[in-house]
Amino acid sequence: MAKRIRVLLAKLGLDSHTIGVTVIAKALRDAGMEVIYSGLKQTPEMVVRTAIQEDVDVVGLSSLSAAHMSHFSRVLELLRAEGASDKLVLGGGVIPERDAEKLRAMGVAAVFTMGATTTEIIEFIERWWTQREAQ
Amino acid sequence: MSQPPRDRDDLRAHQARWERETRGPHVAAHGERLAEFRTQAMRWPVKPLYTPQDLDEIGFDYLRDAGFPGEYPFTRGTSPDGYRTELWRMLQVTGFGTGEDWARRGRYMLEQGLNGLIIEYDLPTTNGLDSDHPLAAGEVCRAGTAIDTLADMEAALDLPFEKLQHLTSVCNGPQPVNLAMILPALEKRGVDPDSFTLQMPNAILIEYTCVGRYIYPPAHGLRVATDVIEYVIRNHPRWVPIAVVSAQLYAARANPVQELAFGFSIAMQYLDAVLARGFAIDEVAPYFSFITGVDMDFFEAVAKLRAYRKIWAKLMRDRYGATKPESLRLRLMASPGTMSLTLQQPLNNIARLGIQMLACALGGGAQTMTSPLHDEAHALPSEEAIAVGAAVQNIVAHETGVADVVDPLGGSYYLEVMTRKIEDAVFAEIEKIDTQGGALRAIETGYFQRALAQEQYDRHRDLESGRRKLVGVNQGAVSGEKRSIELFELDADAERRQIERLQRVRAERDGSAVTRALARVREAAAGTENLVPPILEAVKAYATHGEICEALRDVFGSHHPDSLTTGI
Amino acid sequence: MSERARDAAARLRAGDTAALARAIRWLEDGDALGARVLREVAGAPERAWRIGVTGPAGAGKSTLVDALITELRRRGQRVGVLAVDPSSPFSGGALLGDRLRMQRHTLDPGVFIRSMATRGRMGGLASATHGAAILVDAAGFDVVLIETVGVGQDELDVAELAHTTVVVSVPGLGDEVQALKAGLFEVADVHALNKADLPGADSAERNLRALLDLETQRREGEPRWAPPLVRTVAARGDGVPALLDACDAHRVHLAASGEGERRAATRAEQLFYALLREQAPQRLLARATDLDRTIAALRAGEIDAFAAAEAVLAGGGLPAL
Repeated sequence: MAKRIRVLLAKLGLDSHTIGVTVIAKALRDAGMEVIYSGLKQTPEMVVRTAIQEDVDVVGLSSLSAAHMSHFSRVLELLRAEGASDKLVLGGGVIPERDAEKLRAMGVAAVFTMGATTTEIIEFIERWWTQREAQ
Repeated sequence: MSQPPRDRDDLRAHQARWERETRGPHVAAHGERLAEFRTQAMRWPVKPLYTPQDLDEIGFDYLRDAGFPGEYPFTRGTSPDGYRTELWRMLQVTGFGTGEDWARRGRYMLEQGLNGLIIEYDLPTTNGLDSDHPLAAGEVCRAGTAIDTLADMEAALDLPFEKLQHLTSVCNGPQPVNLAMILPALEKRGVDPDSFTLQMPNAILIEYTCVGRYIYPPAHGLRVATDVIEYVIRNHPRWVPIAVVSAQLYAARANPVQELAFGFSIAMQYLDAVLARGFAIDEVAPYFSFITGVDMDFFEAVAKLRAYRKIWAKLMRDRYGATKPESLRLRLMASPGTMSLTLQQPLNNIARLGIQMLACALGGGAQTMTSPLHDEAHALPSEEAIAVGAAVQNIVAHETGVADVVDPLGGSYYLEVMTRKIEDAVFAEIEKIDTQGGALRAIETGYFQRALAQEQYDRHRDLESGRRKLVGVNQGAVSGEKRSIELFELDADAERRQIERLQRVRAERDGSAVTRALARVREAAAGTENLVPPILEAVKAYATHGEICEALRDVFGSHHPDSLTTGI
Repeated sequence: MSERARDAAARLRAGDTAALARAIRWLEDGDALGARVLREVAGAPERAWRIGVTGPAGAGKSTLVDALITELRRRGQRVGVLAVDPSSPFSGGALLGDRLRMQRHTLDPGVFIRSMATRGRMGGLASATHGAAILVDAAGFDVVLIETVGVGQDELDVAELAHTTVVVSVPGLGDEVQALKAGLFEVADVHALNKADLPGADSAERNLRALLDLETQRREGEPRWAPPLVRTVAARGDGVPALLDACDAHRVHLAASGEGERRAATRAEQLFYALLREQAPQRLLARATDLDRTIAALRAGEIDAFAAAEAVLAGGGLPAL
């Protein structure tokens, strides 16, 4: 029985474009990960609760909203409060570079915007996982 | 030179000889660029050459398969004289900010020579929420215009209507509420509804398959949409209450066959619903219009447009028994597809837009065309980008001559083969959807959604593997190109202004009249009467957009897809 | 390690969601900690009632589970849900989307939802899900709903794990016949005919009742349990209270007839075999001496696969060449 990387993908806010999350979900599955998709219109509270219940390793947030800064920071805050800051938090969507910088400073490990390939995302997650397993 | 072939065998013999003596040795000496050549979307293998032989093989009969423009089956065009009579209407999308902001941009665009406008609404509005709803925070006035009450619509329609021929209002789920706001707003401005064409895509069934701006469960969504269609046909026959936006299916990566088959099945679902209200096909079919997008594979695009109108005509005549020309003639809006545009090296997109506009013009049949902006992947709509988009349309229209001959590519062996191939595949897929019980059932079981999700994944893999080439992305990419993305910023000011106005309206209106009106809406929803009149009353009492949508939600419930109906 | 296991067991018993989720993860991953935590909680009697929900894709299982959660919460019950989906046979990964339908319960502290992939276990559901059900019980939930995939072996396995198995079908999928083939009728304790507002519901009900009657007659044991058929429209919540009442009645029957004890005995035996099936290959291989040389000889054609396998099973090294 092998260990599998568990990933939560969630969309925050009202945006309903699902092509990005569809493609990433399938790509991660094809890379051997277990992907939990928790749907549209998620609030930060729902995301964190789901992340804890599902014991995921990675939390992937898609937010195509001007409110993404407050969404992400709330998720990070809640994860901290739950003692779950060891989870890898990734951001995706149409996020300008200056916002991506701020998100990274907050604790989002990486921000994958348009143009990022699924290969990059998979490799990033696997590198992180390998390092963590080594400890 | 040899004599022209006298018969099919003669041609076949000639072609075999050509293969043997001319092409064969050439290919043996020089090879070919690729191991195999396939069309971009359908991935159909293509031959090096098409000849009359290929037409014979598909049993091509000019009169039956192509015919003459303006006559069944309309393959060569729905208008007898094509674009020689008049050019297509040129539109562009722009909708953001408060009602006044949109009106200001609209006035500018009309001055630029556009004669039609498209108004889109922000996410809270299309989701049936007021601007002060918790989920709306950060979204107000961003993806489009915010409309909470009649007051907002009055501000939005502050336009020179004498210059406006065509207004498209894209609201989807809450379409009856949207319509119910437009009508009294026009009345207050003294505008005669018959003086222009209002088009409401009202394409809620498409939203369930992709995009996702739905509110109620699919069967109720269909009922709501049908109420709008019925109301408009009976009261504003010049307006267009339905547009099947197959372009959204395209944007969700549907290939041309899926786009047409899913789109037509959805159209027929609406048709059946409206016919069940006591109309005859020839009363209803003329209202149906379609919106499509084309992609970069030039001949797939042109063939798709030709097949589009041929299939519609056949469905109307053979399946529904329509006889009026207006029922058989497809009304179409076409645009270059956004899926083909790149974030990287955005100036390249101007070339792409030019090529795709050309394909639209050569495909013909579209009475209206829109143009995405070349830099819309990363930048806010700028006046320059809008001007470039308008210029592309005008260059194709006035400088190329393609609008001067009807269906000039007709007769191309390759094109006729491709047109027929698409047609046959679409009919086969429609049959498949029929056996599932039609489009609504296909949506409820997730058939469309899963098919699209698979295409999305496959297309993405094509890009990542390099099987699909995108210049600037996986071909001729400039390393280290850093494109900074401009987003619609949260216009905190616009959001604040919007919420202030909303609260003012709420404070000043007659609360008990609103309560009564909303109760009437709920009553109507629970029964079978048309929803538009009670919603009109609620709007005039200044019930808010969110309150009315919520009243409907109380009766219909909300739509929550599961993994089968999401496709993920 | 026992320290960690004891600590984890204490925390999950106290209602720590993260501890429960992590312990289930250990079971899934085959981490020895998982087995230890199970031993820590093993002493306590089975308290939670396990309801399995199975059936073909498209039957609306997730919607039904969502409605069952709502009804159970209304009845004051704390609910744990194990939603099982198949792992990809190619990549070993999985897309776990059952939660989508149960969104409204995400923030309810009385509900715990855990998605699990089958991870290519031979025979479908296996020890990790059994173990997870035990842990959810230990964490204080009153009911454990186990939702499974619906084709193949899984329905049969959930029947071993659950106290009451609900089989879900829908009019028009032709599943009366399908279910018969898959052996679903043998495991159904309650039958739910979902989407009963669809055309064809009446004839589907007639067909199902006829088949259920046949099945009831076939079953042994006195008094015999006649699996009831309940019509539901899960999307509206229609029929769901009646469905739960039917499950309740089955629970009473299990206790009164002694059937419950018999099943518990079978369950223990099945779990034993499942554990062996899962762990035996690894353990045997770990104990085999000279494994590398055996493989090399096999690949070189010096010995055949049958002889090599026999040698490992017999617990030794290379067979004589």
